[in-house]
Amino acid sequence: MIQVDDLAKSYGRVVAVDGLSLRVEEGSIMGLIGPNGAGKTTTIKIILGLLKPNRGFVRVFDEEPWDNPDIKPKIGVIYERAFFPSRHKVLDYLERVCRIFGKPESRAREVLALTRLEDAYDRTIKALSAGMLQKFAVAHALIKEPRLIIADEPTSNLDPEARRELLDLILQLHRDENVTFLLSSHVLPELSRVCESVAIINQGKVWAAGGLTELSEKLGARTTRISTDNPEALGELIGKLEYVSRVEVDSKGVSVGVLAGQDDRLFEDAPRLAKEAEAKIVGIETGTASLEELFRLAVKSTQGEGHR
Amino acid sequence: MRKGRPFLEIFTYALDEDYRFPILEIFAFLFALGTFVFVDLGAYSGQTGEALAYSLVTTLCGFPLLFIFVVLILKNVAYGLGSDLDRGVIQTLFSYPLKRRYILTARLLSGLGIALLLFFGIQIFGLFLLAPDVILTYPSTVFLTYAAQLCSPVLLLAGLVLFFTLRLKRGGLALVIGVILFLAGLIVSGFVTSIAYGTGSDLSLKIWAVINPNSALQIYYYDMGASLFASESWVPSFSEVLLYLGAGYLIVAALFVIGYVYFDRRLEI
Repeated sequence: MIQVDDLAKSYGRVVAVDGLSLRVEEGSIMGLIGPNGAGKTTTIKIILGLLKPNRGFVRVFDEEPWDNPDIKPKIGVIYERAFFPSRHKVLDYLERVCRIFGKPESRAREVLALTRLEDAYDRTIKALSAGMLQKFAVAHALIKEPRLIIADEPTSNLDPEARRELLDLILQLHRDENVTFLLSSHVLPELSRVCESVAIINQGKVWAAGGLTELSEKLGARTTRISTDNPEALGELIGKLEYVSRVEVDSKGVSVGVLAGQDDRLFEDAPRLAKEAEAKIVGIETGTASLEELFRLAVKSTQGEGHR
Repeated sequence: MRKGRPFLEIFTYALDEDYRFPILEIFAFLFALGTFVFVDLGAYSGQTGEALAYSLVTTLCGFPLLFIFVVLILKNVAYGLGSDLDRGVIQTLFSYPLKRRYILTARLLSGLGIALLLFFGIQIFGLFLLAPDVILTYPSTVFLTYAAQLCSPVLLLAGLVLFFTLRLKRGGLALVIGVILFLAGLIVSGFVTSIAYGTGSDLSLKIWAVINPNSALQIYYYDMGASLFASESWVPSFSEVLLYLGAGYLIVAALFVIGYVYFDRRLEI
């Protein structure tokens, strides 16, 4: 549905995107994560045809997105900051959008009900609160019954309840209408909840992409948690092992990132190292790394740590 | 989906934005006031024929009336389109199923086209009321004078301001530049005439006539008796006037083409 190959975009001397490649399959929910300035918004804008890449190949619905009205009815867009003519009334404007997309005007009330904005029909857009404006942006994106929704920080202005509702709506649209989503967000637990796959973008490139488990495996980001009474000493020794990608020490134990397929070696080495460190191991367990841990790994790679 | 529907919706959206209360009402009032109050028909009692027709039209659409109209157009082009760019509304417009050039056309049709219709409506109505025989007897002179008056400063400035708005993406600044250019044009016009009379060379007048074909038309009609101070250095023939007018409109067309090409192929949001 979205195919991006070797994309590059610079603003003067600032390189925003540099050789980025990405695939979003039909019916999937993909998350874009990465630190500020990683190139997420630039990538999204290129996919939406708002920016022209300096290099690379972009296809959305197998078509070039720049100035292409044919793909517009298929794509819903939600920006971090909603941009609408502010003097228009909520219902009036959405009815206009219905007419633009050849939908019955009753669709405007449907989407406003779906986003719980029934009470805002007669308000002007500028009178909406930031959260309501974000809901309005969601309603606006849904008018055309899109097959693909691209959202850049869609929950940024929402309160926790509204965030939960939006995420539920995303899952519902995905489940019931097979809508494909490309979501960019800094709120990683939210992405973990809805996304089937993520692309971690850093320094203008896709640093890693895939399902959470797959990424954990691929990046050696599986986390082994060792509970011990002397975490400092044990952590120092574990950090010297060649198959360990990262060590985080806290008061109750050590969290260890282990390269793919090397979990067993840590299980073998840990008792020996504990003895050496005069530490008592209370427990060991291994789990999939969270999205936060993957994100941290990506950020560290920028600083030359743990990059592979 | 009917093909013309998105265009019409964007056009009506632009109309809502450009002529929202009380902007249109204020401009119409000032314009009508200027048309019927400031015009001194007695000043042309000695003139006849085409020269009279030229003088009447020039006065009707001269300063301050033209200035009011120029500000309306610049406001629509610079501030209307500029605030769409500035506030990001253009991103929303770009999500609608319409080619970029049609979005710009809808915006310009509202900001420029409708303003021109208003201008002509009031002007022709005023002319019919004040001197109906002139418009009926010399329609080609009336048409030519309006064409020259609109070419520069109105359309030339609109084209320039369109380009500045797209490049700067800041309507307020583009509007200020437009007003400054308008006032600069008035000053330059005076300078050019002084240079021509001072040096005895008509080169400056000819160059200025390319940018402002109304100056060529003015000299042509002044020589026919529209002014007591007929030009001594250079009087263009009628065909030359048409050439200058054509050149002026070519410059205007080139500016708009640049604006369109930029909007279509280069404008990044």
